[in-house]
Amino acid sequence: MKKAITVAKWEFFEKIKSKAFIISLFLTPAIIILFSVMPTLLATKESDSTKTVGILDLTKEYFSDFKNEIEQYKINGNIPAYAILNNYKEDLSSDSLIKNADKMVIENKIDGYILIRRDDKDSIRVEYRSQGIGNFRDVARFEEAFNNLRIKRKLIEENANPALVEFIKNKVNVNQIKIEKPGEEGKGGFESVFFSSIIFILLLMMMIIYSGQMLVRSMLEEKSNRLIEILISSCTPKDLLFGKVFGLSALGLTQIFVWLLIGISLIGAALIPMNAFENIYLIFAYFILGFIFYTTLFVGIGSVVTTEQEAQQITSYLSLLLVLPTVFVISALQNPDSTIIQVLSYIPFTLPSVMILRVNVAPIPILEIVITFLIMIISIILVVNISAKIFRFGILYYGKMPSLNEIKSWLKE
Amino acid sequence: MLEVKNLVKTYGTITAVNNLSFSVKPGKIFGMLGPNGAGKTTTIRTILNIIKPNSGEVLLNQKPVTKDLFNSIGYLPEERGLYKKSKVSDVITYLASLKGMHANIIKNELDKWLKKLEIPQYKDRKIEELSKGNQQKIQFISAVIHNPELLILDEPFSGFDPINQQLVKDVILDLLDNGKIIILSTHQMDTAEKLCSEILLINEGKEVLSGELSEIKKKFGGNHVMFAYEGDIKFLNEMDEVISFDIYSNTAEVHLKDEVKPELFLKKIIDKVIVKQFSIIEPTLNKIFIDSIKNQKS
Repeated sequence: MKKAITVAKWEFFEKIKSKAFIISLFLTPAIIILFSVMPTLLATKESDSTKTVGILDLTKEYFSDFKNEIEQYKINGNIPAYAILNNYKEDLSSDSLIKNADKMVIENKIDGYILIRRDDKDSIRVEYRSQGIGNFRDVARFEEAFNNLRIKRKLIEENANPALVEFIKNKVNVNQIKIEKPGEEGKGGFESVFFSSIIFILLLMMMIIYSGQMLVRSMLEEKSNRLIEILISSCTPKDLLFGKVFGLSALGLTQIFVWLLIGISLIGAALIPMNAFENIYLIFAYFILGFIFYTTLFVGIGSVVTTEQEAQQITSYLSLLLVLPTVFVISALQNPDSTIIQVLSYIPFTLPSVMILRVNVAPIPILEIVITFLIMIISIILVVNISAKIFRFGILYYGKMPSLNEIKSWLKE
Repeated sequence: MLEVKNLVKTYGTITAVNNLSFSVKPGKIFGMLGPNGAGKTTTIRTILNIIKPNSGEVLLNQKPVTKDLFNSIGYLPEERGLYKKSKVSDVITYLASLKGMHANIIKNELDKWLKKLEIPQYKDRKIEELSKGNQQKIQFISAVIHNPELLILDEPFSGFDPINQQLVKDVILDLLDNGKIIILSTHQMDTAEKLCSEILLINEGKEVLSGELSEIKKKFGGNHVMFAYEGDIKFLNEMDEVISFDIYSNTAEVHLKDEVKPELFLKKIIDKVIVKQFSIIEPTLNKIFIDSIKNQKS
């Protein structure tokens, strides 16, 4: 055990001093922020200048009323969001009118234009034509404005009370509130739960992939220069395996600690939603369990690797297992009780990331927490034993990768 | 004393070590010789408890070699390598502490050894900044710094220039005076010949020859001459006097039939090539090695 600590210290201090580690320590959070916070910021950020939008009303029925509806949208309450331009001219054909308007868009004279016409079956068709197609907010507003206009006209046509028009226009939205304790409302909506879950899963993934690669690479170095023979004539393979796992876990904890500090300072700056850290103890526990599980797995499997290429293949296969649960992020958030999510909650490969997700979405019964913890602990003990056996033989295996049969025979010894 | 008894190690259908027994006394260098793939490395790994033998045992001072004895063994593997990105002092300290040494003692010993091998100026440099020879010295220090009872050196001189070979040889002889058990595994027959007092020659996992070097030479005996020459020496093939011969660049070592007088042999060859030097010799270890392996094969 004393020698395992010597190994752990060496792994920890040598890696923490390396340039690659120091860079990743700060680069990883930067990337995560870029992936998780930026889209939130960009998606909700309103354009701050007036857009010039044309209307080409081939039906000649809607232009002026539609213009009035659209002009009601303001930026910051006073600047009009859209400046409306009439693209219709009496003496031109429909085709050349459309061509002219398209040309104005291409030449950037207008941001886009709304085309209103009748199709073959005499029903109304509205298009927003522009160079980009990502402006969901604009399209939603035009749609709202146009439908309001149609409802208003129909009601007036039917001689309805004008007050009814206002009533129908004012829709009621349904807000989503997460309950944590009776009478206590959660702070996050869908978006913030989504992003805070993603942040932790991304963190776990990047940490495991990063330290796994570091581990496999360092073992490859020791193997290829036969240092491994000096090491295991100085301590037992088990000492070496535990030392490496301890050292790397300590390294991982240091990493999380630094990242948490960065995270807390970001909350201060209101960049990360506060509830990302609400269930921090539970998340932390799953995080550590997942990390140890995968690290031990990497040590065992990594020990059979004999070239840099094989190392890359193996680390990418294992990383795939890690990425798998992110496919279910949305479904887990929408329906945490679905069968697939329940099943994934009990498979040790996906358990940590799925539980990190679920912890954020809805409270988890104590029994389930205990069961999942037990599953992880038993899996870790199992993997440690299997890995130790593979490791014992794998580290002395040179030349080519061992076949599955050979590995099986190692496990029997 | 190190005792290896009836060691057998197989890999699948291949028998790497086949019932090998030998013992090594302290104060003498034991040479383990053999062609590539003879089973030397497997034998060494078994002694070090890196791999487990199928049968047989290894005893160091009457105790089986287990992890409790790890601290009394030093090992210099044939293929060298260290943590390239790490500092010299850090690497030696790590490997020494894995051998159970205390940090304070390591500090003193480290300085002493760096001085002894004439590289104290590299203490705080990274391994990758050192020349190959100096990296080897670092590895040599890691093998001996913990003052092991048993020292196994696999090709300790390869990669050193003659001056450093001499330096390392002196250090090994020093260790010998301190009563260490030293096993030297090598292909360099001249080094083995100069350093080892006992040898074990193995091939295909089996013992071919073993014992005191002087005894072996006497036993191998025969009528040997060596000469330096200029010219074409193919005619040796047709001479009845010759049992076998080996040619090194313009020097020939010849095993003559017992009844042949060396001076008569010299007279015969002097007509055919220019002989620059001629001597009557004991068989060299190299000749013994080659002939023994050839005999075993036929």
